[in-house]
Formats: sequence, structure tokens, C-alpha cells
Amino acid sequence: MLSRVAYSLYWLSRYMERSDGILRLLRVNYAYSQDDPKQLSWRPVLRIFSDMKPAEKIKIQYQSRTVLNFMITDKENQNSVLNLVCNARENARSVQDNVTKELWQCLNEYYHQIRQNQIALSLEKDDPISVIDSLVTQGMHYYGTFEITMARSEGYYFMNIGKYLERAIQSVDILDVKFSEVDYSLEETTDPTYWKFLLLSISGYEVFLKSYRSALDSTNILNQIIWNDNFPRSIIYSVNRLQKSFETLKSDKNSESYKALSFMIGKLESSIRYSDIKDLQEIGLKQYLHKIKKELFAIADAFNLYYFAFK
Amino acid sequence: MNSTELFSAYPTDSKVWDEMFSPTEVREPYKRILQFLKQLSADELTKKEEMARRLFMSQGVTFTVYSSGEGIEKIFPFDIIPRIITASEWAYIETGIKQRLKALNLFLNDIYSNQFILKDKIIPIDMIYSCEHYLREMHNLKVPHNIFVHISGIDIIRDSDGTFYVLEDNLRTPSGVSYMLENREITKRIFPDLLPQNFVKPVINYPQILYKNLAALSPRHNSNPNIVMLTPGIFNSAYFEHSTLARLMGIELVEGRDLVVDNHRVFMKTTKGLQRVDVIYRRVDDEFLDPLAFNTDSMLGVAGLMSAYRKGHVAIVNAPGNGVADDKATYIYVPDMIKYYLNEEPILKNVPTYKMEDASEREHVFNNIENMVIKKTNASGGYGMIIGSAATEQEIIEYKKVVMEDPRKFIAQPIINLSSAPCYINGKLQPRRIDLRPFALFGNNEIEIVPGGLTRVALKEGSLVVNSSQGGGSKDTWVINDKI
Repeated sequence: MLSRVAYSLYWLSRYMERSDGILRLLRVNYAYSQDDPKQLSWRPVLRIFSDMKPAEKIKIQYQSRTVLNFMITDKENQNSVLNLVCNARENARSVQDNVTKELWQCLNEYYHQIRQNQIALSLEKDDPISVIDSLVTQGMHYYGTFEITMARSEGYYFMNIGKYLERAIQSVDILDVKFSEVDYSLEETTDPTYWKFLLLSISGYEVFLKSYRSALDSTNILNQIIWNDNFPRSIIYSVNRLQKSFETLKSDKNSESYKALSFMIGKLESSIRYSDIKDLQEIGLKQYLHKIKKELFAIADAFNLYYFAFK
Repeated sequence: MNSTELFSAYPTDSKVWDEMFSPTEVREPYKRILQFLKQLSADELTKKEEMARRLFMSQGVTFTVYSSGEGIEKIFPFDIIPRIITASEWAYIETGIKQRLKALNLFLNDIYSNQFILKDKIIPIDMIYSCEHYLREMHNLKVPHNIFVHISGIDIIRDSDGTFYVLEDNLRTPSGVSYMLENREITKRIFPDLLPQNFVKPVINYPQILYKNLAALSPRHNSNPNIVMLTPGIFNSAYFEHSTLARLMGIELVEGRDLVVDNHRVFMKTTKGLQRVDVIYRRVDDEFLDPLAFNTDSMLGVAGLMSAYRKGHVAIVNAPGNGVADDKATYIYVPDMIKYYLNEEPILKNVPTYKMEDASEREHVFNNIENMVIKKTNASGGYGMIIGSAATEQEIIEYKKVVMEDPRKFIAQPIINLSSAPCYINGKLQPRRIDLRPFALFGNNEIEIVPGGLTRVALKEGSLVVNSSQGGGSKDTWVINDKI
């Protein structure tokens, strides 16, 4: 496969994963804002997903509709869902012959949908949840089409690498931001609703109830989001899938590149798998999360160097 | 409104050949489809039109116009009423094009080697050497199987008496074939069963024929040559066509930056290292192919490509240098070429053409400018031309000035009344001018042309310019048996 094509597929997949993550987070945050006795601040969301200046964040932090439009339809915001979908679609367009026609059409339809002015208007005036749901459904359509139609060849695995790398980064980011709001404290004083909405925003609430019953404390939350093998958004699950997808790329022709990356991914996987809450308390949650994030970024850089260096 | 009214209001012009209606009645090949259309209400037709638009949009059969940093998606306008050609008309066009291409291909072989046609004074020497598309780099370069014009699009028009003429030869990187294929796919969706009922000849095997021809050019004799399609990239207006053809043939779509030349061999950069490339179907113009040989600023090509080509380590399709044969000034000599190389009478006629270089011809053109079209010899896409009957006096004066600066760069033709065909526009059938671009594939053993081609339509009322860059659209084109 051409390096340029692999690069585009990888990014197409990262953009789609990110847009999905953003939409879910927005949906839940908005729902919470309707429930919250205090006014809900959108600052953590803006911190994870935008490079907005702190002063601006403070200015709009209580204006749900403004934040929603900024995060979904703003053309100036690099990370708005609109721009992410446009980028995903442009990437798909440049490798149209390497994705299935169905997948291309699906992305193309999503692109045409999200470019309608109606979306911004509805976010301003109507029920935002309906708007977000309609976009999430398009995203689900994409995931389904991807799984069902794409041949299990290099392209598919590069897309999975992008997907799981992005997802791991997102889960680390969400933990980082949410725990930074409580000063990375593992004490059990935080309002359980806070954790409930954190779980809901990454579709982890139901899995959580089944695994840990109802004890909504920070230790269980960390167990679920970092180490739960059955939770498709946990860090260990994402890194493990990244590793599995990467292993399919092994071939005689690229043994050097393969070895370098295989080492990095394997090391990260083991370091997460063979650590637990106790280690985490020793190192400190903040340091622990930042180390994982640093290694994920290093892996992304290594892909650029060893697999996508076509320029 | 019922649909019989839709047809009764159809205006006919005695000076124009209409494909569906003769002055007295409906022409034979259109009778069946007309009967079918009559059963539909205007509402139903509008719905079908809307469906076609939606299908094009969702399938991304679009080209992007970039303005103020934002892309706007446009569809190439499609008219739902098919254009019909009978089998006997087609046989005539087909043999005519094949004859023409044989001569043009011999001409290119000759002009880049012995130049007998110049020595025999059939074509003036200065006309060739003054042509910007004549490439000295191609001189004495042996091209595989002596084929230069692997893929061509010959533009055919029909005058008021129904005679077919060749308007233009496109021998460099003709585009439009993906629209021919897509238009047929759309017709299948909007008019279910209509194609088999009319025994329309299929066009679907075009990609397979092309693939077979490309594979036969591989310099390495292996069973699975590496064929790639070279595109200028996603910003090119024909990008949709490039990716469609690559997909339909199952070949890799590459950009210049994906390729590298090492030791006169071309490789592509893959996730598993470099992989040798055997055949390049390029949609990049000659001057951008290789910065070492041509335009040094080109980012679209590959440095060293021409040296690999010269050594015979890679095949390039179409061959570079074809522009000398489809130059509008060379066009004038194609009938002479047919006689010279094949000793045959030309089957398809040329439109009478005047050389603006020639003082007496130029005077004739200027004196009769209201009946003339003046065109640049090296331009395409409907750019750089003036239609005498439609231009203002001021425009004509300006244009004459430009012509006088370098008359070699211009030719003139009498305004041909392109034939018209009914189009469904604003809920009514209205006549619009059309042409036809069949796509010919010059293979190792034979020239193959899928039946039909792309019918282009000038959608503006009264307009004679069918180019998509000038607001043209297209129709599905059917070749059917004479007697249904």
C-alpha cells in the first residue's frame, strides 16, 4: 500500500473517531446541564477539544448553545465536528480507490448533511439532543459500513490503528481533564453524579453498573476506564487493539520499522496491564496519565517516521 | 400539466437538425422512448430529475470549486432524456474514427522519426516546429508497440443536414469517460427496465478493455504488472474521473510525490518499501511530467521519469508529445494524412478550417466574421475562442488585435449549427445543442470504441458551447439497433 494512502486512511479514521467522541461528550454534558442545580461549566470540554484562549473559555463557559455551535458547526474551530468530518471526507476522497464505494458514500452523505445551515440554526433554537443524535447516527452508520464492507487488508488495519490510537488518547484526555477538576484526588468525596456523567459521556455507564454495581467512587472509575478489558473505550482495550492491528503489518520487507514500533506499543501495553491502583497512587495519577499520553504521541510520531514518510 | 402538452410546445428550427423530431414527425429511433415518456407526467419526470441529482451528489460524482478557502461541490449537470444513435450511424462513426486514429498514430510515429510527411511536403515544416506541443525529447524514442494515442476522445458534431463532422481530436488526456459510465448507471436507476427494452448496447466493459491494453504495455514480462494512474491530485477538476477509473480497473492511484526514479526505474513509495512501477496512465500534462525534462517548477511529476521512459523501463500512456497531432492547426491536415499514410479517402469529414496565418484566408475570415468562429490552436475547454455572431463589435476588434500579434496560434471555422436534442428543463422539453465524444482505445491488436460515448449539451438556450467549463452538461448516449 502507498505510504500516502496509508497516511490518509489513518487520519480519516482518527478524525471520525474524534468526531464521535466529541459528539457523545457534548450530548451528555448538555443533558447534565439541564439537570445540574448549579450552572454547568463547559470549560473542561473546551479544554480537551479546543485550543481556545483561557479568557474566551471563561467568557462562554456557561453558554451551552454557544459552546455547542462552536464545537459542532464553527468553521474556524479546527476541531469542530464540521471540520473533522470535512477532513475525514477529504482524506477519503484522496484515497477513494482504497475504501469501498459504500464507505465513501457514507462519508460523503455525512459531509453533505453536516454542511447544511439548518444544523447551526437547530442548535441555536431547537432541541440540541435531536441534532446531536442525528449526527451520531451518521457516525454509527460509518462504523457499521467500515466493519461490514472493508476488506481485511492493510488499509483496514491502518484505519484501526488510527481509530484505537485516537480513542486511547481521548480516554486519557478525558480522565486527565475530569480529574484535574478535583485536583487529581482519589478521595471519595466527589459528587457521584459527576462520575456518572463522566461514564455516560464515554458510553461506559452500563458496563460500569454490571462490573462494579453501584459504587460510584473514583477508584472504580479509574479501574473501568484504564484497566477494564471488556470496556471498548478503556485505555487497555484501545492499546491492545492497536497492538493487534499493528501485528498484521508484519512482513519480511519492513522488519526494521516493524521492530521499532512493535517494541514501543508492546512496552506501553505491558506497562498499563501490569500496573494497578497502588502503583498509580505511588506515582501520582497526573504523572501516570501524562506518561501514557507521552508514549501514545511517541507512537504516532513513529508511525509518521516509519510508515508514512512519503514526502 | 399532462405530458402530451410537454411535447407539443417543442419549438423546432428548420436550420438545425433535431435528433428526435424531423420537421414532419418523430424520428424512428426515438419512437419507443417517446412513447414511454408520454406515459409519465411532468411531476414524475421532475422527480426523476431530482433523483438523478441526489444520486450524483451522494455518490460524490462532483467536482469541487474552491473559492475563499472553502470547497463548493458541484455536479456536472445531467439531462435525463437519453441521446440515441442507431447502429448504422454508429458503424459509420466507428469506422471513421478508427481510420482517423490509424492515420494520426502513423503521423506521430513519422513526425518523431523520419518525418517523411514533411519531406514530401504534405505538411509545412514550420507548422510543426512552431507548435508548442511538439516535443524534441520524443525524437527517435521507441514507444511500445508504436502506439502513441492509446486513449483518445474524438469530438463529433452534426450539421443541419444530418452529416457528421469531426470537430476536434483529443489525443492528450481526454476526460469525460467516467461521466459516460456514471450517466449509464444513473439511467439504470431512474428508468428501470428501459435499457433492456431498447436493447441498448452496454458501455460497462470500458475499464476492462483499458486495463488489458495497459497491461500489454508492461516492459517487464510478468503476469501481474504494476499499473498506476498518475493524477495531479485532489484539487484537479477531473479528480473524480481519476479515482473512478483507478477503482474500476483496480489499479493504484498515485500522485507525483508517491513516485521516485532510481537507476532509470520508477518506484512507488509503499508501507513496505519501494515497489517497481511498470505502466503509468498519466493524467498530468506533458509539461509537468518530469521537472528534469520539462517545466522545472513542476511539483506534479516525477524527476527522472523521461529518462526511465527513454530506456524503456516504464510505459507512459498517452505518449508524451501527442499535442502536435491534436493541435487545431494540424487538424486541417488530417484528411491529407489519411490519404498519405493509408491511401484511403477520409470517411468522416473535417469542418472547413481556415489558417489565420495565411493572409488571404485571414482576410476572408475577417470579412465574414459574423459567420465564423475563431479559436486558439492550443486551447481547449471552450476557452480563448470567439463566435462572430454572438460577439460585440468591440470584442471583435480586440480579438482581431490579439490574432494579428501571432496569427499562427489561431484558426477559424464557419459556425456550425450543432444538432439539437430535447432536454428536460424547467418542466418542459426544450431543444439544446449537443455534440458527441466517443472514447477510443488503441490496443496492441485493434482499436476498440465502446458504443456511444459522452454526449455533451450546451444547456444555455441558443448556446453552441458544450464544454463543462462553460456551463455545459451531458446525457446518457444509447446505441440501439436500426429497427426496433
